[in-house]
Amino acid sequence: MKAGESLGRYALHRVLGIVPLLLGVTLVSFTLTVHFGPDPAWEQLGRNPTSAQIEQVRTELGQDKHFLLRYGDYLARIARLDFGPAFASGEPVGELLARTAPVTLSLLTPGFVLGVALALLLALAAAWHPRSRLDRFCDLASAGSMSLSLVIIVIGLQAVLGVWLDWFPVRGWRSDGPMMYLQHVTIPTLALIAANLGYNLRFFRAVFRDVLADAPVRTARAYGMPARHIATGYVLRAAAPPILTRVLVAIPLLLISGSLIIESHFGIPGMGRATWNAILSGDQPVLMAVVSLSSILFVLALAATDLLTALLDPRSRGA
Amino acid sequence: MTSRPRSSAASRHGERIALATVLAYMLVAVGVWIGAWGGEWAAISGEMREPPSTQHWLGTNRLGQDLFERLLASAATAFEVGLPVALASVLIGAMIGGVAGYFARRPIDNVLSWLIGTIDAVPFYLFAAAMSFAMQGFSGAMHLAMILSFWTLTARLVRTETIRLKQREFVFAARVSGLNARRILVRHILPNTAPLLLVQTSLVFVAAIKAEVVLSFLGIGLQDSISWGIMIAEAGQEILAGHYMNLVSASLALFVLVLSINQLADRLQDRLDPRSRPNTAGATRRLRHPARSGTIMTIRTS
Repeated sequence: MKAGESLGRYALHRVLGIVPLLLGVTLVSFTLTVHFGPDPAWEQLGRNPTSAQIEQVRTELGQDKHFLLRYGDYLARIARLDFGPAFASGEPVGELLARTAPVTLSLLTPGFVLGVALALLLALAAAWHPRSRLDRFCDLASAGSMSLSLVIIVIGLQAVLGVWLDWFPVRGWRSDGPMMYLQHVTIPTLALIAANLGYNLRFFRAVFRDVLADAPVRTARAYGMPARHIATGYVLRAAAPPILTRVLVAIPLLLISGSLIIESHFGIPGMGRATWNAILSGDQPVLMAVVSLSSILFVLALAATDLLTALLDPRSRGA
Repeated sequence: MTSRPRSSAASRHGERIALATVLAYMLVAVGVWIGAWGGEWAAISGEMREPPSTQHWLGTNRLGQDLFERLLASAATAFEVGLPVALASVLIGAMIGGVAGYFARRPIDNVLSWLIGTIDAVPFYLFAAAMSFAMQGFSGAMHLAMILSFWTLTARLVRTETIRLKQREFVFAARVSGLNARRILVRHILPNTAPLLLVQTSLVFVAAIKAEVVLSFLGIGLQDSISWGIMIAEAGQEILAGHYMNLVSASLALFVLVLSINQLADRLQDRLDPRSRPNTAGATRRLRHPARSGTIMTIRTS
């Protein structure tokens, strides 16, 4: 029964296992944004400062301390979620993120959810009927989607649906009332679906093909069990671990790339645009917060999927 | 993974077209490098926003620069970005993955696997942004960010493959005849991963030129240069005014190249890995940790 360990021990093991990764990603983000980044001391100095003034500001900012001490300090600030005020606006970074995150979530969630659902449906149908017309269509659709960039799809859809057909607003963001929301969220949603369909379809179909080739499924199909039973009772369950992993792991990455591209292009006041502004203006506190939080989120998502997989499939608890 | 419903003759035909397309792009790039064409991409050679004509095949942009000239020069840029990034990432990935796999479950493997996990956890576009932030004024920051991020998938695959190959007789034979670990790895194990490395090189190439488009669009890509990404970024500014030429030409150029390389990589993968053919898929390709496969199937962009 127990291929590896009990679930409790496995969970403990796995949770302890993320500590080195968390240290790793915070070290990378610290090194890049704080240690090597532009010197924030200059932001606080007036013109033509004397060397004594420079020293004083550096001491105030704690820059004269040892690298490890500063890194420890930085970890403590992340733990307290205290990133200080943004350079550009003076608004505390925590408040900035709390204010912009809901916009980003409401912008990206429909596209993400619908995209995954559509890919799952198409992939299952295509794997069920290999070499069918649908299967071949999936080949074409994934090859096409993988060869395009989200950037191209966003601009292309904006040109066709917004400028040419004039069905939807070409840029901006309003969420007062469901109609306004739907109007503004449609182009981003379609773009996300189209951009992610290729990789998802391909991956899901490979997983489904694998599961469908399993002896129990072949037997069940040979005995003429209803397709619906096989699909929900066995195929979806057996295919769940790799699919869940992929979907959960894609969330932080999608949040970043999707929001950066879509929000900067459409002028939507979410986290992506705040990050983009910080990138262009060198707003260190914002950048530091976004880089470290998103990496931490990724590590946590990965650990969560492992736990979920262990719950679904005891075999994976080994090793 | 690609199904093979078509006859192998048709598939070979498609392969030839894809190969010819990639070679044609290379020819364009070489032409730019030796100065045969594409050198005038920055020159203002016409009026603003001229429509396509015999003199300006694709018309001109808002400054009066010739779009066709810019399109050709961008093909060279794509190879200038894609080739070094692909070669360097795959080389680094092969070495790190080989060492980690050869010494699997020893401390060095733990350290290298931790490094792979760490790099994979930092979102690529933020990593690239942080790199350009940290190295302001250094023109290779984008290339460096790509190389430092894109080697991890190769490393994971080579590590797994090395663990597998290490159990084979020829490696035992090499060990018995007294070769040291480095020699076994470099002379006996890594050459056997060559096909995998070739597939990875083409996939990293594609990832690099696609990432360049996004980074240029975000304004943290190439500086003082021309690329399809820069043309598309330009298009993003003028699409509302109804100017489509930049978008259509650059997107199409990128699309065709990426599609061809992806097709070649697919065919290569099919040929190398019989397990990936649908008719034999199944029992043999059960992964020991199915959950892991989701994280490592693609390079971390898109």
